[in-house]
Parts: sequence; C-alpha cells; structure tokens
Amino acid sequence: MPLAPHVAQELRRVVGRDAMIDAPNDLRIFERDGSIEGAVPDAVVLASSTEEVAGVMQVAAKHRIPVVPRGAGTGLSGGAVTIRGGIALQVTRMRHILEIDPVAQTALVEPGVVNQELSLAAAQHGLFYAPDPSSQKACTIGGNAAENSGGPHCLYYGVTTNHVLGMEVVLADGSVRWVSGDAPDRVGLDLCGVIVGSEGTLCAITKIKVRLLRIPPSITTLLAAFPTIETASQAVSAVIGHGIVPSAMEMMDRVTVGAVEAHYHAGYPTDAGAVLLVEVDGTAESTRELTAAISRILAENQGYAMREAKTAAERDLLWAGRKGAIGALGRIKPNYYLHDGVVPRSRLPQVLSAVGEIGEHYKLPVANVFHAGDGNLHPNILFDMRDKGVLHQVESAGEEMLRAVVELGGALSGEHGIGLEKSAFMPWIFTEDDLDAMHRVKDVFDADGILNPGKIFPDPSRKPLHLAGRTGLAIEAKWW
Amino acid sequence: MSSRGPLQSAPAIEKPATAEELARRLHAAAAAKLSVTPAGGGRARGMGDPLERCDLVLETTRLDRVIEHQQSDMVVSVEAGIALEALQSHLGRAGQFLPLDPFNSPGHTIGGLLASGWTGPLRLRYGSPRDFLIGIRVALPDGKLASAGGRVVKNVSGYDLMKLHYGALGSLGVIVAASFKVFPRPLHDVTVSDAGGWDAADRAASMPLSPSALELFSDGRVLARYFGSRDAVDRAVSELGWKKTDSAVWDEHARRGHEKWARIAVPRTLLRDVVSSLPDGSEWWASPGAGIAHWAIATDAQSVTAMRAKVEAAGGTLVMLAAPDDFMREVGSWGTAPATIDIMRRIKTAFDPDGTLNPGRFVV
Repeated sequence: MPLAPHVAQELRRVVGRDAMIDAPNDLRIFERDGSIEGAVPDAVVLASSTEEVAGVMQVAAKHRIPVVPRGAGTGLSGGAVTIRGGIALQVTRMRHILEIDPVAQTALVEPGVVNQELSLAAAQHGLFYAPDPSSQKACTIGGNAAENSGGPHCLYYGVTTNHVLGMEVVLADGSVRWVSGDAPDRVGLDLCGVIVGSEGTLCAITKIKVRLLRIPPSITTLLAAFPTIETASQAVSAVIGHGIVPSAMEMMDRVTVGAVEAHYHAGYPTDAGAVLLVEVDGTAESTRELTAAISRILAENQGYAMREAKTAAERDLLWAGRKGAIGALGRIKPNYYLHDGVVPRSRLPQVLSAVGEIGEHYKLPVANVFHAGDGNLHPNILFDMRDKGVLHQVESAGEEMLRAVVELGGALSGEHGIGLEKSAFMPWIFTEDDLDAMHRVKDVFDADGILNPGKIFPDPSRKPLHLAGRTGLAIEAKWW
Repeated sequence: MSSRGPLQSAPAIEKPATAEELARRLHAAAAAKLSVTPAGGGRARGMGDPLERCDLVLETTRLDRVIEHQQSDMVVSVEAGIALEALQSHLGRAGQFLPLDPFNSPGHTIGGLLASGWTGPLRLRYGSPRDFLIGIRVALPDGKLASAGGRVVKNVSGYDLMKLHYGALGSLGVIVAASFKVFPRPLHDVTVSDAGGWDAADRAASMPLSPSALELFSDGRVLARYFGSRDAVDRAVSELGWKKTDSAVWDEHARRGHEKWARIAVPRTLLRDVVSSLPDGSEWWASPGAGIAHWAIATDAQSVTAMRAKVEAAGGTLVMLAAPDDFMREVGSWGTAPATIDIMRRIKTAFDPDGTLNPGRFVV
C-alpha cells in the first residue's frame, strides 16, 4: 500500500527528493534480507544523518507508520523485512568511521559502517574489532548491534554486546538519546545492554561506540579431519576440557567440505566425516604451547590430516573456505535455508544426528557448518526454489530441526536473531510470563508498536505452527 | 538493613525456601502495599540511598542450590542465594571457576552480586558478570516468575533482560536464579608485585601478554596476576622483572571493604588524572585497565561532593558503597541522575508499578 501523498511529501522534506524511494519497481530491491520471507516496503528512505533519522521517525510516529531500520540486509532471520509495510529506514549512507582512539582503544562509528572496514581501519593502529560474522565483508555495525551478532571468534572474544560501549539512538518519538558510554559501571539501568540485540524493535541506532582490541602478535590456525561428526565433537569438548579456550573452533561436515574444496581448493580433506578449524592467538610462546597441546588432544581423539597454517596467506585460505562455505554450497543446489540454533556443547552429536534424520525424511540435502566451540549449529537446508512445493518442505524441516535443538536444552538463535522467522517458536522456550516481561520493555520504548512490528514476539494470526500440538514440551523440560 | 533509614518499626524478615514461595510473598506484600527489600549475603547492604520504607526483608539465603552444572558444557545454573565461595568450591572440583572476585568478600551471594554489580580485579581479563551471565530468573511484584536467556553460551532469543536486572539493585524484581558461562582454571597462575606506582602499572599493561588482573594502591604498590600457558607467563614475568608473590594476596585484597567507601568509574584513560585529584593522603586502590578505583573515605562529605564533580566532569560516576546514614544523605549515593532517567523510570513503573521494591534506594 503506497504511502499517502502528504506523508510521502513529509518524508521527502526530511531526507531530500533523491533519498526517498517509492516507485513500485524500485521498492522490490528492498523486499528481502538474507532469509526466506519477503515483503515490499511502502517507501525506502536513505538517511544520511541522525537528524534525518529523527525526522523520519517523527513523521512515522505522527502517522503511526511502521519503521524498519535496515543496514546491508544480510540478516538471516527476516529482521529487516517490512512485514507490516511502512518505511524501510536504510542507514547505509551513514557509513563514516567518526573516530578511532588508539589510546582508549575505542571507535565511534555510524551504523552503516561495514564490519570489516572498521577492522581494516583499526589495523593501522594495531587494533581490531572482535565480532566477525561470516558476512563481515558486507554487514554493518548497526545491523550487528541490532542483532547482537556473533561470529567464529566469539568463542573467546564474546559477541557484539560485549564490545558495544554506548550508542546514540533515535526513539520512537523521534528524540535522540545516548545510552551508556566510555566509562564502566554506569549509574542506573543498562539500557544499552537491552537495546543491543533488540532487532530494531526498541529504537533506531545512529552511532555506536565500540571497544577495539590489540591485534595479537601471534595467530595459529590448525585444521584437522575426523572420521565422523561425533569424533570431531568429542575432540572439541576434550580441548575445552583441558582448560584451553581457543579463539575459534569451527566445524564443517562432509557435504560442506566437498563443496568448499571444489570451490576454493583450500586443501580440505574431502574423505573426512568432519573438518575442524581451530585458531589460537596470543604471544608467540602462548600459541606455540597451545598449538602443541591442541594437536596432541585432536590426535588422541582420532584427528588426522592435520595442517597448521604457517603464513597469513595459508591462514586466509583456510578461513576463506569456512567464511565462504555458504556460497560454495550453491554448487549443490541454487537455494539454501540457513538455520541457527544453540545447544549445550555436549549435545552437538545428538542434535546433528537429529538434523541428519530430518533432512533424510524430507529428502533435502543438509550441509552443516558451525561454531562447534559454542554449540552453535547452522544447518543449511539445500533446495531448488523452482521445485514445486519445496518451500513448505524446507520450512517444515527447519522447524523440526529447531524443535530438536529446543528439546536438547538449546535456544532458538545463537546469533541470527528471532526476527520474523522464529517468532512463532518463542513459546517453545519462553512462558507467557517471560514474554510478558519482555513486552513491558517493548511498551516502554514503543507503546504504539511502530518499530519493526511483527518481529521477536509471536503473532499467532500470521503463521500456523506446524507442530503446534507439541508446544510446551520445552517449557516443562526447563530447569526452572 | 533495619538500622538504615527513618523506619517506624523493625521490618519482618522472611527466608523463602523456593522461588515460587518468594514470588508469592513478594506479590502478597505488594498487594498489601508493603515495601520489600531483597537481601542476599548483606555484603553490599550499604549501597544506595537510605530506604524510605522497609516493611519486609526477603532473604534469598535459603535458595542456595546449584541447580545444574554441566561440566563439559562449562555452564552452571544456580539459585540466587548461593554464596560465591560455595559456588567456587563446587566449580573447583571440576577444574572450573567463575571469574568473579568482588571486594568486601567473603559472603556475597550470587544474586547480591548481580543486583549490586560489584566486581573485582579479574574483571580486567574476564569482564563483569554482564559478560558471562547467560540466563536469569526474576520474581516480579505481581507474583510472576520471568526468565530470560537460557543455558547456552551464545543466545539472541528474545530481549537480553539479564542486562536490565544486572546492577539494578533489586529495583525491578528479585533475582531468584541465574546461569553463567564458567571458565577453565588457568593453566598457570603467577602473581608478581612492584612498588613503582602508575608508571609500573602502565608498563605492565602495555606488555604483549596482558595481565589478567592489575591492581594499584595508594602507597605505590602494584600487583599483577598472569594467567596463561607456562612459557608465555614465565616470559612476561621475567621481562617485567617484578617480585613473585603468593597468590593468597588476592584473597586478602578481596576482603577489602570500608565503613565509608566509594567506587569511582571513569573512561580508563582518565583514571590516573581523576585518582590523583583525590584529597591528599587518601587511601585508594585502582584497576587501571578497567577504569575503576575504590576510595576509603576519611574526609568529610564536602570532599566527596567535590570529588564527584571532578569524576562526573570526566564522564564517570562516583557511587557510594557504604556510609553512615547522615553522611549518605548529605552526599547522595549516586550523584547526578543519568540523562535517560525518564526511560529508566518508565521501566521501573512497568515492572514495579507500586514502588514495592527498595523504595528510595536506587536511582529509580
């Protein structure tokens, strides 16, 4: 539904004629993010400043039109999809790194700054920004903060929320506020901590102050093959059981390794049931000692074909396979549905075997590539959109996989967010009272519900629950 | 608790044995318009402004179970009233620990530490519980028990309400259970000391291997603690050239607490300037890498107010951790209200509409 002409006119006055898109064909570009479901916005505004974001929000508040903040659109849970129509608030023109303070080891950035660009800029000072989602070449810091993104290295370094010091935000009424800042232990409630990961449902983010870390002097990346996912999972637990927390521990299954090797020629052993990438960093002494210990532990747990990346180029090649794994899967099927769930690490073999069975049941190939150290699995259901009725099968399979995650004591999302995709499943892990507490926070920030409506909270009117009869199981199994 | 504030009579004290019972008692008190003060081990009871009212103290100390410790998952779920030492000894049997070493120990409960936000030297390496608290369960004044997060180390399912309750001093609800990511005990743990003051601390902080804890004292003494692989730690220690010290010194340090003391938190690059402007002869200790200092106050209220002005000008906060009531009333616990106090008040109202919890004690 197009915006009323006078509303469109008000928005044009805020951002300028060139920064407003409302021609139907142009809007289709903004229909989707990286997930399956899409919806065309009524208008897209390309904001260039905090003042413009505030102006857009004021117009939206006045007319009670939904606003969905949007970065690079790489999100995987439908967080940036305008499911109730309204305005897509595109912030990618706000892409300035405003300040890097090498002494304080902080950076102040606009929300449209690309994740990797920040680390590249910080590298001039010997610093880096730790959260590194696999989409880091494209995704934005604003989107990362909204989704509380993770990445391979969050095993040691933590996720986005551990690195955001403060933010400038625009509230639903268009007012501009700062939450938190450089000093620790601030007085009052930690609004910044609640806003990070709130998926654009509480406010729009216009500036982010982040912590930077010193680039470690030594980094070693190890690759090892294992006969099965189970043996590789056991090796992961054994490493951590020895008191070693590597900076990353990533696993790929046979399907993924085959596709990756065909594409990147990274030297992954294609006969393996699973391939594990382990990275440690620190001083030269520390990485040498840890690498030796880890190699021993991996070998004791049936690891073979072990390789150590000795140069930066070798290391980049090993990681290119991991970070580009999803794209390489296009060799198998043109479309994929990437899921995201977390289980306690020791449950990984069980959940992956359930995932395999579900894939077989639906006759859909599944490729697993995931953050093994965190217990964060990413089953990729591979399919061809042109096959009739396949999407429903894919969704059902994905839903059953999530169900398996929850039944093993896990959570619906480790880093992709709930968004549109998983909102219907929230009652699997949260009671009405839990959700009510979250809703109280939502109502404080956005009483009229104009900020990214239809996300996070279940909306029973929208999507039927295929497994509705089984809901409640997880709640009963919960320790509290 | 009862000695603080202009109370009409001594409050009732109840120690519920279950979270459900606690929630029921809280709800009943709220419905009867009574005010409730949650309490754990009482180690941070001096924090906050004097209570306006206190009809009922709800103690969590009987909620002291380890609910679940999945050793191989490095995750623990506990009831809020468990003492930190009891939890550490439980985790220690599995070679694990919670990297939390708060001042004014021993005797803190987990719930009390989450509500008060108190931390210690290891914060430099591991961050605060804000960084490793992965799940929480809270009793609300309407009798509901609301959980957020979960038992997995990485989780973006729903709002991060752990952050909302952490450091809220029990003003939104009573924390009844929590889950944490725990850590393996370090492979190697060495403590060294020096007497070189700020310059020595700066030097330790800039070395390739960062210390896991680095504490500086007003007499110029510096303590550094190194965790890591043996070779790396040995090299760092030998390059630094400080004297090896028994790690028991950290237990002694954690026992620090004063009748009248304050926490100063500023951007870490400004800490040295701020601390050097404390009144002459002040006793203090600082965590330079975290931007935090503690001040054992031996001067008058005016000196605290003057100091707070300097701290706030540096973008930080000076929070009183304990003081006699009249002193506390004069300086105020918290200082200038945060700029977003309006939003915080609305959140308070959404969770505790009748102002049942800790009236007058916190900023909201």
